Amino acid sequence: MTGKRLGFISALILAGMCILPLGLGIYPQHVLIVSLFYVMMASSWNLLAGYTGQVSFGHAAMAGIGAYTSGILAVKAGIDPWIGVCAGTAIAALLGLGLGALCLKMGGIYLSLTTLAFSQILHIVIVNEYDVTRGTMGLQVPGLMAEYSKITYYYIMLAAAVLTLAILYRMIHSNLGLNFRAVQNDEVAAKSIGVKVLQVRVLAFTVASAMAGFAGGLYGHYLLLITPEIPSLDLQFNVLAMTVIGGMGSFIGPVIGAFALNILAEKIRDYGEYHVLVFGLVALVVARFAPNGLLGIWRRFRTRPHARSSNRLQD
Amino acid sequence: MKLNRRIVTGAVALLLLCSSAWAQGVIKVGIVGPRTGAAAATGQAFDEGIKLATEYVNSKGGVLGKKLEVVFEDTAAVDKAASGFERLVTRDMVVMVLGESQSSSALAEIEVANRLKIPFVVAEAWADDITAKNYPYVFRAGPSNSGVVSQSIAKWVQFEKFKKVFIIAENTDWGIGIGKLTENAMAKAGVQFESMITERNSQDHYVELTKIKAYKPDAILAYIYGVGLHYFVAQAGETGVSPKAVILDGAGPPSLWPDYWKNVGDYGNLECFASSMHEKVELTDLAKYFRESYVKTFGKAPTDYKSRSIFDAILIAADAINRAKSTDPTKLIDALEKTNLKTTRGMAKFGMEKGSPRYHQWDPPMLVIQWQKKQQVVLYPPEAATGKLMR
Amino acid sequence: MFAISLMNGLVMGVIYALAALGVSLVVGIMNVVNFAHGELYILAGYFSYLFASALGVNFVLAMVIAVGLVFFLGLLIEYLLIRPTYGNDMYSLILTFILSIVLQNAYLLIFGPYPNKPPLWVQGATDVFGLFLYGNQRLAALAAGAALIAVIFVIIKKTWFGRIIRAASQDREMAELNGVNTTRLNMLSFGLGCALAAAAGVILAPVFPVTPTAGVPVALTAFVVVVLGGMGSLWGCVVGGLTLGLVENFGAAFISSGYKNVFGFMILILVLLVRPSGLFGRAKI
Repeated sequence: MTGKRLGFISALILAGMCILPLGLGIYPQHVLIVSLFYVMMASSWNLLAGYTGQVSFGHAAMAGIGAYTSGILAVKAGIDPWIGVCAGTAIAALLGLGLGALCLKMGGIYLSLTTLAFSQILHIVIVNEYDVTRGTMGLQVPGLMAEYSKITYYYIMLAAAVLTLAILYRMIHSNLGLNFRAVQNDEVAAKSIGVKVLQVRVLAFTVASAMAGFAGGLYGHYLLLITPEIPSLDLQFNVLAMTVIGGMGSFIGPVIGAFALNILAEKIRDYGEYHVLVFGLVALVVARFAPNGLLGIWRRFRTRPHARSSNRLQD
Repeated sequence: MKLNRRIVTGAVALLLLCSSAWAQGVIKVGIVGPRTGAAAATGQAFDEGIKLATEYVNSKGGVLGKKLEVVFEDTAAVDKAASGFERLVTRDMVVMVLGESQSSSALAEIEVANRLKIPFVVAEAWADDITAKNYPYVFRAGPSNSGVVSQSIAKWVQFEKFKKVFIIAENTDWGIGIGKLTENAMAKAGVQFESMITERNSQDHYVELTKIKAYKPDAILAYIYGVGLHYFVAQAGETGVSPKAVILDGAGPPSLWPDYWKNVGDYGNLECFASSMHEKVELTDLAKYFRESYVKTFGKAPTDYKSRSIFDAILIAADAINRAKSTDPTKLIDALEKTNLKTTRGMAKFGMEKGSPRYHQWDPPMLVIQWQKKQQVVLYPPEAATGKLMR
Repeated sequence: MFAISLMNGLVMGVIYALAALGVSLVVGIMNVVNFAHGELYILAGYFSYLFASALGVNFVLAMVIAVGLVFFLGLLIEYLLIRPTYGNDMYSLILTFILSIVLQNAYLLIFGPYPNKPPLWVQGATDVFGLFLYGNQRLAALAAGAALIAVIFVIIKKTWFGRIIRAASQDREMAELNGVNTTRLNMLSFGLGCALAAAAGVILAPVFPVTPTAGVPVALTAFVVVVLGGMGSLWGCVVGGLTLGLVENFGAAFISSGYKNVFGFMILILVLLVRPSGLFGRAKI
């Protein structure tokens, strides 16, 4: 794809996204806002898991850091939510830097388990320090603007998602992005050609955490209620499933995954209490038989329309 | 452009779908409550109550000559409660929302009810703040923390002449709220007490029970909802804390769930619980009707009283719609405020004093019941008592 | 307070060790972390409840059947989900993570939200050294857990099968060169790992009834224990399990019961900081 054509298509999609909510009721608007939150979460998690091979289970926790920082500042100190969101982003970035540095010496599974432990500790602290966080009851926080308006929230979330995606795109399509790939594919080889493996990994961790913190902060002030469900394994599951289903390690995959799964989740909600089960089964089947996600399936059909080979993973 | 057109087509289809829900001949009422997660048992109880109530209302001619239809939205996750409520109102076009059993979810939902100006009758979420905020669109036809403590639990503690009690509460809006209120009531009544907050999903209470045992209380007021209560009761028996100290389950339903006896074994004997329903004590003929149709429909006796709470809430809603002769929210509120309806738990009537949690609040009577050889014996209030406390 | 915390710590420690042994076995041989470990523990609890309480099978037989069924399910999971991911540890982690969510919700659909409890093996409580009353079922669980761990040790250290397992977890390629069919070994060890989770499940289910989501903390504690003891180290599991059980219970007794589970995670991060390969682990990975 040439740069010009890509720019044209993105502009078209952006214009479409701008007019999309105008004809919709407030419930579809809500679904779109939540989808945009997940676009930010899944895309930034993809930077970690898809581009540098660090499967972090603490990404939802970082969104929780952003949301709770901003929420507590607003409720306890009366600080403007916008300043709070910035503070939340900064703290998530700092913690991401710390956690990233902590996990440096560890590879693969150890990193996953450490981030899992981090997210559980955060969860327990939030649940127990109910004097400050109101625990599982949820902290009611002020909105981003004085008068509640769905459509304004939509445009704020859209702008935030576009900003996040633009930064990610620039990072991935720079020398840095090449380094990310190199680190993921072969750490030793990357080191030998002069890639500063440690810095690259920590940088990815910091940037991704900051983005999750930013997304979480905005999301909290949209929901008006911040609960331990934000820094939870369930939300982490959603982010992971969206990325995997959309296509891990591709720029656009998580975006597709976030929209597809979030809208699918809304659809199957009509079948009562089993929506999570259906959601999980779909994720399992796609993850198992189409490891490159929906994007991979689409590409396969584009490039080899007649080949009907199975999508099995290769050994 | 192809993609955009598809999105627009999809959106139009979605809109059509929404408007077709506004079918002729039906008036919809929304129910919120947990259908998944730790409190999903409440969702099942609600389901049963909904079935019986819609059959009852529709057999009596429905609402405004139309059939009453119920849409039940899962609000188990506190963070999804507000959007679930919004979905009921804006997508399913319900004229009123009822239910909820988790205080934390209810506190998020009342904000939406007020913003969207839709009447909301809370059934089983007890936190005082729900009505204390005095939102014009929010009512509660069910227990409130302060009501349960002052009307039932504190009075029962005095009635049994307990000298020392131990309060153990889970870390939720309900638990912490009712724990604090109980502390105040005990201090006021001159009863010695000690209290502790516990994690509601904890499986192991041995350490906490050791602390309780050292305090030697006459009674343990346990505000733990769900399976956590079963663990607590069984382990209290194992460690010899009870029956020396009588345990009161301050919520009720967990002591009545089908698996209670399986989980606690013989240690479940002599446990006490609060409940608005008793297998033999029936306050109105409607309560009798409820029991009979429940047995006929489900082939078992009702246990979880929350099935009856939602039944009452639906009756109150149907009555208000019929008296308002309209589904206009302000007219509905007006009608709700004038409610004076016979329900299974007595005459429902909402309080009108502003500035207190009694505003738009109806506290149905609660009983304190003890399990004695798997029989439910009412201990309090004295006028309904069927036996004496055993220990 | 000290005595009962010690006792509780021991009981929980043995169960933690048992659950962690399964994780450790699978990690050691296959380099796969089974995120659905806790859900298999729960499934065994459901099975033993189903056979013993609902169908009236003798409780010991019910437990054996439950463990057997979970073993076969483990083989099936390995064949369907894990086998295609060899060489990509992260992908198997992701797959089993999704599987755990699927299973949790399937349990909710099948068994409902209520807790299910298989019958107790023994009733009542015993006065331990005149210090405190302790549930007999917990004492029985302690004994059964300890005995089972001993049996596993004998199998691993003394039998032909154990030698293959040890060989494969030390050097996979070498074992393969010596004629070990590693595909079959993988399948078998994954099944065994699941069976160990199941064994822990059937032992503890009469004490702590199973609910659809009760497997999550079980799996998390097992992971903590495995990292604490070092991936793939059996002794590490036992020491790690006991350490965690004791720390949690003393922490709950003397610091804060709400933070009970935090202590384990704190230790996990500290250990990884100081000794990334765990207390007894190999430096590899």
